[in-house]
Amino acid sequence: MASDGSHSFWPIPADAPAKDDLSRCVHCGLCVNACPTYAITGLETESPRGRIYLARAVDEGHIPLTAAVQGHWDLCLQCRACEAVCPSGVPYGRLMEHVRAQVAAKPPTGGKMRRLRRFGLRNVVARPRVLAAAVWPVRLWAAFPLRGLLRRSGLLRKLGRLGVIESQLPARLGRPFRPGDATPAANPGSAPIVLFTGCIMGEVFGDVHRATARVLTRAGFAVEATVGQGCCGALSAHDGDLEFARGLARDNIDALERTSPATIVNNSAGCGTALKEYGDLLAGDPGYADRARQFSARVKDFSEVVAAAGIPAGRFAKRVTYQDPCHLAHAQRVRNQPRALLGALAGISVVETPGGDMCCGAAGLYSLVQPAMSASLRTRKAEQFKKFAPEVIVTANPGCQMQYEAAVCEAGIQARVMHLAEVLDEATGGGRTD
Amino acid sequence: MTTRRELLAGLSAIAGAANVLWRHEDLIVYEFDGTIEKKLPYAVVFPDGAEQVAAVVRLCNALGFAITPRGAGTGLSGGAVPAQRGVVIATARMRRILEVDPVDRVAVVEPGAPNIQLTEAAAEHGLFYAPDPSSQKACTIGGNVAENAGGPHCLALGVTTNHVLGIEVVTADGEIVWLGGRTMDAPGYDLRGGFIGSEGTLGVVTKVVVRLLPVPESVVTLLGIFNSVEEASVTVGAIISSGLIPAAIEMMDRVTLQAAEAGLQCGYPADAGAVLLVEFDGIPEVIESQATAARAACFEAGASEVRVARDAAERERLWKGRKGAIGALGRIAPNYYILDGVVPRSRLVTVMAGVDEIVSRYGLQVANVFHAGDGNLHPCVVFDERVPGTLERVLAAGAEIMKVCVDAGGSLTGEHGVGYEKNKFMPWLYSEVDLENMGRIRAVFGNHGRFNPCKLLPAGSGCGEMAHNDAAMRAAGPDAYV
Ligand SMILES: Cc1cc2nc3c(=O)[nH]c(=O)nc-3n(C[C@H](O)[C@H](O)[C@H](O)COP(=O)(O)OP(=O)(O)OC[C@H]3O[C@@H](n4cnc5c(N)ncnc54)[C@H](O)[C@@H]3O)c2cc1C
Ligand code: SF4
Ligand code: SF4
Repeated sequence: MASDGSHSFWPIPADAPAKDDLSRCVHCGLCVNACPTYAITGLETESPRGRIYLARAVDEGHIPLTAAVQGHWDLCLQCRACEAVCPSGVPYGRLMEHVRAQVAAKPPTGGKMRRLRRFGLRNVVARPRVLAAAVWPVRLWAAFPLRGLLRRSGLLRKLGRLGVIESQLPARLGRPFRPGDATPAANPGSAPIVLFTGCIMGEVFGDVHRATARVLTRAGFAVEATVGQGCCGALSAHDGDLEFARGLARDNIDALERTSPATIVNNSAGCGTALKEYGDLLAGDPGYADRARQFSARVKDFSEVVAAAGIPAGRFAKRVTYQDPCHLAHAQRVRNQPRALLGALAGISVVETPGGDMCCGAAGLYSLVQPAMSASLRTRKAEQFKKFAPEVIVTANPGCQMQYEAAVCEAGIQARVMHLAEVLDEATGGGRTD
Repeated sequence: MTTRRELLAGLSAIAGAANVLWRHEDLIVYEFDGTIEKKLPYAVVFPDGAEQVAAVVRLCNALGFAITPRGAGTGLSGGAVPAQRGVVIATARMRRILEVDPVDRVAVVEPGAPNIQLTEAAAEHGLFYAPDPSSQKACTIGGNVAENAGGPHCLALGVTTNHVLGIEVVTADGEIVWLGGRTMDAPGYDLRGGFIGSEGTLGVVTKVVVRLLPVPESVVTLLGIFNSVEEASVTVGAIISSGLIPAAIEMMDRVTLQAAEAGLQCGYPADAGAVLLVEFDGIPEVIESQATAARAACFEAGASEVRVARDAAERERLWKGRKGAIGALGRIAPNYYILDGVVPRSRLVTVMAGVDEIVSRYGLQVANVFHAGDGNLHPCVVFDERVPGTLERVLAAGAEIMKVCVDAGGSLTGEHGVGYEKNKFMPWLYSEVDLENMGRIRAVFGNHGRFNPCKLLPAGSGCGEMAHNDAAMRAAGPDAYV
C-alpha cells in the first residue's frame, strides 16, 4: 500500500482487526470459490479476498468506511468456508468479528437495526427466563391445529420476514431442556460428561438434547447438564459485540470449572466453535486467559465424543443425506465423524449432495438480516433435495435444522429434518430409558 | 472530452446497471491480482456472452478507454491489473459448462468457469481435463487460455494449448470470431495457437472447446525426502534420463515445506531439506515397475526416506500441500514475489545456487517450489512491503534471478506469463525484429495500444510505474473527467 496511509478516516475501536491478521492475506484467491456469497454474485467485493482487502484499505486509511463497504461485510455469512481452505492461515472468523466490532462503533448505515439486534441479543437471548417467555407464544403457534392448513395455503409466505421464520419452525416444538434437567441414569463407573445446553437450542430443540443425553449414556458416559451455564456468546461475537461475548464466556468458565476435567460436549456447531475459541476470545484478559484455554481444551462436539467412544450397533433403514454445519466442518474441521457414525448404521443409505458443505444461509441471525441472500442459498439446497430425494436430512446445528425445514417446504418433498443425535438415538433404541 | 458518467451510462446500457461497478470502494478490489501490482480501473463491467463483450469493446474503443480482461485475478504476472486504468471486463457472469460430450471427449465451457468446475464436470463421465494449475480451485479457463497455463501434471501431457481445440474470441476491435474448432488440427494458419498465451492482449475469450482424456487406470504417488535441494535436483535428472516418464515431478524446499505443513497439515517432514513429489499413472503393472525405479533413483541420490501414498486420501493430502504451497507462504511474510523461470534440467543445480546467492546478497528470504520435471522454477521471495525500501530490493533481486535463468539458456516464464512485470526483460530473449513482428500480430487482431496495454511486449509510452494508490480517484465521482 502507499505510504500515505498514515491518517485514518475512521475511529479505530479497541476491537478493530489486528494488523497481523489483515496482512496475512496474500490475495492468492484460492478461497473465492469456497465462498457462498461469491458463488451467488461472482463479485470480488462479496468474496473473502475482497472483504479482507477492504478491511485492510480502511485500516490503512486508503478508503473511508462507507455504507457500501459495510454492505459488503454485512453480506458475509461468517461461515468460515474461506478460512478452512486458506493456505496462508488467515483467521477469517476472528477477523470478521473484529470488523463487525469496528462497524458497530460507528455504523455508516442501519444503526437502528443494529442497536435493536444488540439489545435483543443482550437482553433476550442471553437471559434464559426472558428467552423462555419469548419462545412461549411461538410454541403455542407451532401447536396450533390449523397451522398446517395455513402453511399449505401459501398465505404465511406472504408475511415477509415473519413468514420466513414461520417456515423455519419445526412441525412441533418439543419440551424445553434446561440446565439441571434430568438426564438418563448411567451405569456405575461411567465417565462424567457435561452437556452444554445453550440458549435457543435448549428452548426450541429440547428433544435433541434429550436424544443427545441418551446416546451419550449408551456410549458409556454419565451425562450432567450442569447448572449455572448459559448462552455461549457466539451470536454476540459474530455481531461484533465482543465485550458482551467475553462476559458470557467468563460466566460459563466460572460455572463449569468445577466439573473439570470432564469433557464439555456440545451438539450445536455454532456454540461448539465459540466454546472452543474462548481461549482466543479471552487471550487479553489476564484473570481468565489461562482458564479460558483450559476450558476450550475440554470442549468436544457430540460426534467427536461418540465416534471415539463407540455406541451399540444401530439400525436406520432410510435414505439420508448429511449436510455439514459450517461451524462444524469449516471452523472445527469435524467432517468425518458424523459420516462415519451414520455409515455404521445398518440399513442406511447415505447420499452426498453437491455443495453439502456449503452454507445453507441460516448463519445465526443472517436469514433475518439478509433475507434475499439467505433465500438464494436455501434454494440451492432445496434444488439438491429435490434431485436426490432423501427421506431424512441430517445436520448438527439448530439454525441449519430450521433452514432445512424451510428448504424442504420449498422443495415440496416429504423429508424429515433431524439432528445427528436424534438419528443415532432412534437407531439405537430411541426414547426408552435404559 | 469524455466523462466517466458517459462511459458508465454506455456500459450500463450494454450489460445492465447492476453489472457495472464504479464506486471507489468497489473498484479497489479489482486493482490487484495475485501479484504485488496495483492500479485502479475507472469501471468494472460484467458482460454476459460474446455479443455484450463485443459491444463493450466497441464502446471503449470509440470513447478511447483502455481495456483489461479479467478472470479470477489469480494471475502471477500482473496481467489482469489495468495498467492504464480504463475498463476491466470481468468474466464472472460467464461461468457455465455448456456441454460435456463423453463420446467425442470434448467440453464446451464459458471463460469464467473455474478450472475445478470443468474438472468436476468431466469426472462425472470418467474423464478429466489435463492442465491442473495449482490455483485450479480458483483460476478460470479463460485465464488459463490467456496464460497458456500449466500445472504439475503437464509434464507428460502438455500445457493448455495442447488441450484447447477451439476458442470463440471477441477481438480487440470488437469482432466475434472462432479460432480452431472441435477437432485437432484445423486447416489453415493456427490462429488458435497464436491466441493461446497472448495474455489478454489480442481479445477476450468468450467460449472454449477443450479436449478431455480418460481417467488413468491407476496412479502411484511417491514422496522422496532429501537433505538438500541439490540431492533432489540430481534425482530429477536421473529419473528423466533413465527414460521414465512420470506424470509429475514437483520439488519443494525446506522453507516451503514448513509453511505448507503449518498451513495444510499434509504430512510433510518439516525438517527435510527438500522433497520430491513423483507421480506415475497408467496400467498398474507398468507403473509399479516405474515407481520402483524412481524409488531407487531417490535413494541413489541420498534420499533419507521415500514414502508411497497408500490410498487416494493420502495422495490427495500430499497434493493438497503442493497446491496450497504458494498461498501458505503468507505464514512467513505478508507478501511474496513469485518468479517463473525455466532452465534446462541439466542446469538446475547451478541456477539454484545462483538464486541463493542473489537472495542472500539482497538480504532477502526465498522459498522454492517448482515443477522440477520441466525445469520450471518458482523462487518466491517473501517480504513485507510495508518496510520501506524492501519492494525495491525485491524487484532488483527478481531481475537478477531472471537474468541468471536466461543466461543458463532458459526463459522468462514457464507458465505465469510475461505480463507487466517481465516485459522489460523481453529484449534479453528476442531481437528488435522479433519483437516488432509480435507487435504486428497485435495489429492483426485490432489492438492498437489500448487493449491490455503495458503487458507482454516491452512497454511504450504511458506505461509508467503502476501507482499504488491513486488519490484522485478517491474523490472522483461519476462526473470526473478521465
Ligand atoms: C497460488 C497460485 C498458484 C498458481 N499455480 C499455477 C500453476 O501451477 N500453473 C500456472 O500456469 N499458473 C499458476 N498460477 C497463476 C494463475 O493462476 C494462472 O496464470 C491462471 O491461468 C490465471 O487465471 P485467472 O482466471 O486468475 O486469470 P487472471 O489473473 O484474471 O488474468 C490473467 C491474464 O489472463 C487474461 N484473461 C483472463 N480472462 C481472459 C479472457 N476471458 N479472455 C482473454 N484474456 C483473459 C487477463 O487479461 C490477464 O492478462 C498460480 C497462481 C496462484 C495464486
Ligand atoms: S484469505 Fe487466504 S486464500 Fe483467500 S486470498 Fe487471502 S491468503 Fe489467499
Ligand atoms: S465467511 Fe463465508 S461468506 Fe464470509 S467471506 Fe468467508 S466464505 Fe464468504
